[in-house]
Amino acid sequence: MTQIQRPTTTGPGTERPAPSVRQLTFQWAGGPAIPLLSVVIALVIGAVFVLLSGNDPLRAYAALFQGAFGTPYDITETIVAAIPLVLTGLAVAIAFRTGLFNIGAQGQLLVGALAAGWAGSQWPSFPGIVLMPIVIVFGIAGGAFYGAIVGLLKAVRGVNEVITTIMLNYTIVFVMHWLLQAGPMTAQNALGTPASTPIGAGARLPVIIPNELVLFSRLHAGIILAALAVAFFWFLMWRTPLGYRLRAVGLGARAAAQAGIDPARHMIAVMAIAGGFAGLGGMIEVSGVFGRVYDGFSSSYGFDAIAVALLGKNSPLGIVAAALLFGAFVHGGAYMQSHAGISSNLVAIIQAVVLFVIAAEVLVRGLARRRGTRKPVEAIA
Amino acid sequence: MTWELLLGASVFAATLRLAIPIALAALGGTMTERSGVTNIALEGSMLVGCFFGVVAADRTHNIWIAIAVALFAGLLLAALHAFASITLRADQIVSGMALNILALGLTTYLDYQMYGTTGTPADLVTVPDLHLTFLDGIPYLGEALADQNAIVWAALLLVVALQAFLFRTVLGLRWRAVGEHPRAAETVGVDVRRIRYAAVLVSGALAALGGAYLSLGVVHSFTDGMTGGRGFIGLAAMIFGRWTPIGALAASLIFGYGNALSTSLQSATVGGAKLPVQLLGTLPYILTILAVAGFVGRSRPPAADGLPYETEGHA
Amino acid sequence: MKRILAFSVLAATIVASCASGGTSGTTTAPAASGSGAPTGQHLKIGLVTDVGGLNDKSFNSLADKGRQQAQAQLLVDTSVTESKQQADYVPNLTKYAQDKYDLVIGVGFLMQNAIWKVATQFPNVKFAIIDGAPNDDSGAVKNLPNVANLFFKEQEAGYVVGVIAAMMAKNKVGAATHNTVCSMGGLPIPPVDRYIAGYQDAVKTVSPTTKILNGYSQDFVDQQKGLEVGKSHIAQGCDILFQVAGGSGLGYIQAAKAAGVYAIGVDADQAAVAPGTVITSALKKVDQAVFQTIRAVRLGTFKAGDNFFNAANGGVGFGTVDKIVPADAKAAATQALADIASGKITPKDTVQVK
Repeated sequence: MTQIQRPTTTGPGTERPAPSVRQLTFQWAGGPAIPLLSVVIALVIGAVFVLLSGNDPLRAYAALFQGAFGTPYDITETIVAAIPLVLTGLAVAIAFRTGLFNIGAQGQLLVGALAAGWAGSQWPSFPGIVLMPIVIVFGIAGGAFYGAIVGLLKAVRGVNEVITTIMLNYTIVFVMHWLLQAGPMTAQNALGTPASTPIGAGARLPVIIPNELVLFSRLHAGIILAALAVAFFWFLMWRTPLGYRLRAVGLGARAAAQAGIDPARHMIAVMAIAGGFAGLGGMIEVSGVFGRVYDGFSSSYGFDAIAVALLGKNSPLGIVAAALLFGAFVHGGAYMQSHAGISSNLVAIIQAVVLFVIAAEVLVRGLARRRGTRKPVEAIA
Repeated sequence: MTWELLLGASVFAATLRLAIPIALAALGGTMTERSGVTNIALEGSMLVGCFFGVVAADRTHNIWIAIAVALFAGLLLAALHAFASITLRADQIVSGMALNILALGLTTYLDYQMYGTTGTPADLVTVPDLHLTFLDGIPYLGEALADQNAIVWAALLLVVALQAFLFRTVLGLRWRAVGEHPRAAETVGVDVRRIRYAAVLVSGALAALGGAYLSLGVVHSFTDGMTGGRGFIGLAAMIFGRWTPIGALAASLIFGYGNALSTSLQSATVGGAKLPVQLLGTLPYILTILAVAGFVGRSRPPAADGLPYETEGHA
Repeated sequence: MKRILAFSVLAATIVASCASGGTSGTTTAPAASGSGAPTGQHLKIGLVTDVGGLNDKSFNSLADKGRQQAQAQLLVDTSVTESKQQADYVPNLTKYAQDKYDLVIGVGFLMQNAIWKVATQFPNVKFAIIDGAPNDDSGAVKNLPNVANLFFKEQEAGYVVGVIAAMMAKNKVGAATHNTVCSMGGLPIPPVDRYIAGYQDAVKTVSPTTKILNGYSQDFVDQQKGLEVGKSHIAQGCDILFQVAGGSGLGYIQAAKAAGVYAIGVDADQAAVAPGTVITSALKKVDQAVFQTIRAVRLGTFKAGDNFFNAANGGVGFGTVDKIVPADAKAAATQALADIASGKITPKDTVQVK
């Protein structure tokens, strides 16, 4: 009864019982009840922490919910916070599906942002119809390039992707410091904020909610790109031969090789695609939120993405739901601090408990008295 | 550019200082993954080790108690991971991520509550450097090794001891068997769950020792998030070192060397110009990638690594 | 169910043991990080930190100190929000403005564009930004009638502590025997480099023969990296170390402490970090700037546009001077501060020794 099907951190290539296609595709459709129950249990446990800190849990949670969803503005902000997590979540998930652990979404997002920011400021006078596709392509290509390095080193030299992705995450942080503080991309800014030159108007993703509807909303057209990316992920993985082969590689490199699928080539491809997703996420932040690249603008999108992907069971809709949950924590958490006086660190603790309880879903299943009703896992069709 | 900046004794000494916390995390990772459990909460264990070590040092003024508390804190966090991943067969990555977030949130919260205005006390009891007089006067080695912290030597001893344990003892053989083929191990009477629990707890304590080294051995204080990803680097070093204690140490030393260079080369000039300080920061990471790609290549994890295990007849 | 119980008991035990540790000791807990929703007719003041967070031992924690002081003394209701990522600046500022706060303060130059965006949308709300001015989307400074820009002359504080360092190095006071002083920034960004520039300017002026070194830890958090730069500097003869690197700088101070040489703190008075090692600190009184800006709103004297905090108005200066520092060095620093205030000395603001 190995229920949790997931490649190891440290290396695929080992064979293991395979989940059914149905299970892979519709895991959430089969049971959003369990994740929801997990959240409830986690909030109860989190309440203990809030109580111990000398605060009123009900007040805290009311503020968290109100902060995340209380007004139309808050709902749009929760979505804005979720968008980059959807893209990085896809970047992690597609790698997981292929048996790779991509800790590198963070770095891939930054490279995509830098590439998009460079392109957007290079031809600022181009009209949007020309510049926007350029910027999108640069963002995706930047991330894909950074991801492909990982796949290439794995395919050619057998270097474990966990090593390369961790190292490349840090590498780009310092390269970014250089580019934006004292390097070729540094803006000649009067007050010296380490940032790139602003991108042209044609490279800005427009806000899609008019002020009459939601005053001062920042919800930008990046949501459309994110939705397209989610659809693309689903279509690629479950409706194309390439997706089938990628999943086959994920279920066991050796078996895939025996079936005539070259795992090495697919590793490069999947890491490039993963990087492309994350790079698009970086591009969306630059074009939709900031209008330029700020040094260190992303502290944790790529790391939260690991949790988002796994919470979402590496499935398209699951990732969207998990990203929205995280977005709600980000945006609602700020309100919880400002209006209920709850330390932002308690928000982090509650978030950790939610994750932990969802990970330990057996516990929740036991509670839901559904133990033993699960069918044994089937082999891939 | 002088050779001193690349290979001097002070660079070697710095390499060792910078490598030790990573090596301890990598050692923890090696122990737990050899038994088949992935623990990416080593970063968290290290951080709680940093913090609770300092708190205990502040409260008890006894360095032994402080280290014990640090190890226990790391072990406790690992115990949560063990419970989730072994007993509940939870997703080990999500559990580890959760515990990392928990450790950061908890230590930051408590640090602010306890030391927010003052910072941690200036007069903490700390782990001393060991001055090895017999090394005095020996060129190079004297400068490189004579004044390292006590935990550095403890860590080096642990590397040797755990290497011997894993590969030269019966229990070590069982330990590895559990990570390679738990079903077979169980068939011959090995208690898979017990070994895995032990392994995860040991990994947390080892990472926490790295944390105690940082806070009590090196910088004598605590600041939020001071582990700065060393637990993750340790995971990379574990893989780089092919899941062996000695390999883990070697990998950590390469990383530490890159880190030491990024400091020492700030004094260097190339053609009269200084190197961009920001780019020097990439050295440890690029050096590690090059070393792995150039010399190590493929490394195979324990076969059952990361897979939950269900005891026979219990499913 | 048993498992749930077991887990929650375990979790509770951890926290309880921590919490009891937190209350039984001698350190006093600071006031709660947030003070709840303001009520009544008091002025409402909101503070938004940058990503460094409230516990950064630097300008965010100082700004919050100013907020708490105002809360205690000025009959205002205040609230604080920590930003977890840069994308949060706009919504965090907006929430306060939407709730009709009277003054919303953003901490740090990373918020220059965010404050412009929000302040243009809420012209009836007053804003203040520390270390910056509103920047429009093109990156140009656009002063707004409802935004106060709070600037500090870090180079003046750096200069004054540089005078003390130079005097000690020149006269070989105590452990300062190598006639070499140095500094370490987190990263070479302007607010950091202005401190270092003033420091180096003073040393070059007061003691031209003194050797100067400078380095960066490439981090504002990692203490061990700061410590390694410190060890490297000390190995090159440094015996007065000036840190401008937040948490990472604490490692730099620790290197000085371990080697028995001297350090200079930054932003806040860091004498307590390592008594006997920290000979003084370069002060940037962000707390005072926040407090005075809140008071100005209360008194109706809020001034939009540039507000400088400098030697002339006590906005920068130097902290507790250790007893190892000779009287003449302390007097020289006091004199330098007065000369800067009167305009007789204008410290440089670009780094000479990289």
